[in-house]
Amino acid sequence: MADPVGPDEVRAVAEAALELPGADGVEVLLMHEWGGLTRFANSAIHQSTGREDTGVRVRVVTEARTGVTATNDFSKEGARSAAASALEMARVAAPDPLYPGLAQKAPVPERPGGFDEATAATTPEQRAEGVAALVGELRKGFRAAGAFETGAVEIALANTEGQFCYAPYTQSTISTVVAGGDGSGTAEKAASRVQDIDPAAVGARAYRKARESQRPQDVEPGRYEVVLEPMAVDTLVSFLSYLGFGGRAIAEGRSPFSGKEGQRVCGPSIYIYDDALSPDTIGIPFDFEGTPKRKASLIEEGVFVSGVHDRRSAKMAGTGSTGHALPPPSPEGAFPLNLFLQTGDATVEQMIAATKRGLLITRFHYSNVVHPIETTITGMTRDGTWLIEGGEIRHPVKNLRFTQSILEALSNVEMIGRESELASEFFFAASRVPALKISSFNFISASDH
Amino acid sequence: MLEVAQQAVDAARRAGADYADARFVSTESETLTVRNQEMETLNRGLSQGIGIRVLTGGYWGFAATARTTPEDIERTAGLAVSIARAASRLPMEPIRLAEVAPARGSWSTSVLEDPFTVPLDEKVALLMEASRRLQGVPGVTFGEASMDFLRRRSSFASNEGAAIEQTIVHSGGGIEATALSDGEMQRRSFPNSFRGHIRAAGYEHIRTLGLVEETERTGREAVELLSAKDCPSEVTTLVLDSNQVILQVHESVGHPLELDRVLKMEEAYAGTSFVSPEDRGKLRYGSDLVTITADATLAGGLGSFAFDDEGVPAQRVTLIDRGIFQEFLSSRETAPVVGGRSTAAMRADGWENLPLIRMTNINLEPGEGTLAEIIGDTKDGIFMTTNTSWSIDDKRVNFQFGCELARRIRDGRLAEVYRNPNYAGITTQFWGSCDAVGGAEEWVLWGTPNCGKGQPGQVARVGHGAPPARFRDVQVGVR
Repeated sequence: MADPVGPDEVRAVAEAALELPGADGVEVLLMHEWGGLTRFANSAIHQSTGREDTGVRVRVVTEARTGVTATNDFSKEGARSAAASALEMARVAAPDPLYPGLAQKAPVPERPGGFDEATAATTPEQRAEGVAALVGELRKGFRAAGAFETGAVEIALANTEGQFCYAPYTQSTISTVVAGGDGSGTAEKAASRVQDIDPAAVGARAYRKARESQRPQDVEPGRYEVVLEPMAVDTLVSFLSYLGFGGRAIAEGRSPFSGKEGQRVCGPSIYIYDDALSPDTIGIPFDFEGTPKRKASLIEEGVFVSGVHDRRSAKMAGTGSTGHALPPPSPEGAFPLNLFLQTGDATVEQMIAATKRGLLITRFHYSNVVHPIETTITGMTRDGTWLIEGGEIRHPVKNLRFTQSILEALSNVEMIGRESELASEFFFAASRVPALKISSFNFISASDH
Repeated sequence: MLEVAQQAVDAARRAGADYADARFVSTESETLTVRNQEMETLNRGLSQGIGIRVLTGGYWGFAATARTTPEDIERTAGLAVSIARAASRLPMEPIRLAEVAPARGSWSTSVLEDPFTVPLDEKVALLMEASRRLQGVPGVTFGEASMDFLRRRSSFASNEGAAIEQTIVHSGGGIEATALSDGEMQRRSFPNSFRGHIRAAGYEHIRTLGLVEETERTGREAVELLSAKDCPSEVTTLVLDSNQVILQVHESVGHPLELDRVLKMEEAYAGTSFVSPEDRGKLRYGSDLVTITADATLAGGLGSFAFDDEGVPAQRVTLIDRGIFQEFLSSRETAPVVGGRSTAAMRADGWENLPLIRMTNINLEPGEGTLAEIIGDTKDGIFMTTNTSWSIDDKRVNFQFGCELARRIRDGRLAEVYRNPNYAGITTQFWGSCDAVGGAEEWVLWGTPNCGKGQPGQVARVGHGAPPARFRDVQVGVR
């Protein structure tokens, strides 16, 4: 659909903004993205799209005052115009007493294999074949809905301190809900390379869950042991990150981890870290200020280690940036985009066998925060929930609403899966997490399906 | 830019499209945020490009590009047709569009004062003053004030002869006080949470908000919440402020009545609906007091326009009439499937997305009485205001919503304050328990600028008008 513009043209556009007179510092974030998404429902392709977009986001600083202007006019003129607009805004802004300066020139680590030509060049016909293979796994009476997306991004950061970073990367994701009768199931897969996606396997897994979800029965809300599959675990880890791991929130006392450095916050088997450089995730080797990425340990042996920082929150905390800045303006500060929950040694089957009376949960739906400091969230189960009794799956159950503190749940982890899965978000944020067995999880009400 | 849209339509037809429409869209935005008298965000944005939608052999294709040279448009139109042809890999009943007379015309939001020409330093000064006053309230940790402006110009053309130009302008502002102490964090917002009160209007809307004037009360309430008791867990009478009724309307009426959800087109992502086409005219959705409309013709709503994004004229549609479900939000594709006409609810997020069925302005029509009269008529219950949190299942049945502040109602009077309030219920039971709906004097048209749907994800700006309302036998204080 489109070709990369390459680092030379990116640098040329960036330099048009960096030449802005009258500024103490200029930073330019550039992006070029293209790809397609084949969306299907009722086992037919119904809303497929192709898209190419560009972005030039200029941050201008003068006397510690900052203005930001973004445009998708990816040209020297567009960059110059955005820079001038950002300077106009900076001049009316109040000085930031915590302005940390722009990132200094520094080498960015290599991240080989991030860009795959075949993924970038995937055609609508190839995606349609993939969807057909997925749908081909279903038997009569079941239908599939979902999306198969392939895309490529070039991202670059340049500033007047001489830093220039450029990284192309690709991403492919497929996800589906298979439904029929009175049950449904889901599965997904994300990878850098489309060749690593097996649509038929995803379809088969979702279909199996849908078939095994038929005739769900009521169960009473209350506290249950749970076996959470990776998609459900991702909800816990992602919300915990949203509520707590940002260095600014921690410094300002708004995080559940404020003042908790070095303290036990959950069970000793829990390790959470962020690592954009790992080949097991989809990431880029620098952040949106141009700071090189590195692995950041967040929780070790259940003890909170540290949050993540951009340059400003690092200055607040008296430390250095961990390379987790978001695109400007980012009032909430830094955020980890490549989380890992460390694997253990159990299989899901072993977790089920070790459960006296509990629930096997595929995923949660439409979760939201109830109490941010207590890390309490609420949400629904969806697309495959089963009652376990005596170490065996008894029958599917109707969906339940949970209201649960994440840190309490992570304090009650009894077993951790030995396999992990990458749960992809819209951008390149992704969590790689295993299944968990948790001894107590709070369900407060039930739905009718 | 209508000519560019027309060029795209012509290119799509040359590439083999049976039907083609194109939207050239240019969106400007400006965001300002001050917290504790520091500039948190001061940014502008411009995004423009073209989205080309085609029907080829009864299958949809859509392609969009930010690059709008004639060559790029030709290439993108060809891609849209390729995408449609690829969709035929899985056969289905060919899509047929409901007939609609090709519209030609132009329309703009009524704006008295262009927000993009109001000097930046004037805006910054107002926000700084509001932040300063919030910060001055003893116990307030963070005092934040914000403004958001958007102008979207769109040009729509189709091979049926439609030629439409529309400009919408949205302006919004708000303040928020945060109080922190001993592991507890409480917030109060004014006029509403999530960046305030946004309307289709110019800067004149900001001047009516009273952001500076309301700082003292807003800050004081945030501090008061810190030492308040948690909302008790009980089944009681619940009175919701207008700004929470709209969240209830959005999640438990607007979304389940989107016909694409009903037809399982959103099954993998947002979910489906408990409502079926056979329910029209039969399903008791709420009490006799509950009448809900979709009205894109209203002035000032984030869902106000003259034509939707497939060129269908804006309408006022009764979705629920005195408690009985009547009509869906629909499109040219979906309406004929259930034997109806499009209710003009197709809306796209910018140039880069294809239109989906979205809410317009979904409103609980007014009843009678003021909020004070509803409270005065309540012997015992809980009053809640200002949304903080929302969660509902994939068929829109089981919900749980949270608010910033609650107060006990005792013998018709507001009494002690409760913090961390929430309530839960089942959609039709909840609306069925509605026994008071406030009058027109309490009816407010709010904006919800953050409604997510679709793959790739789209964010819609929708409007909701509602008065306060009362509901019986509701579970509150859910733990």
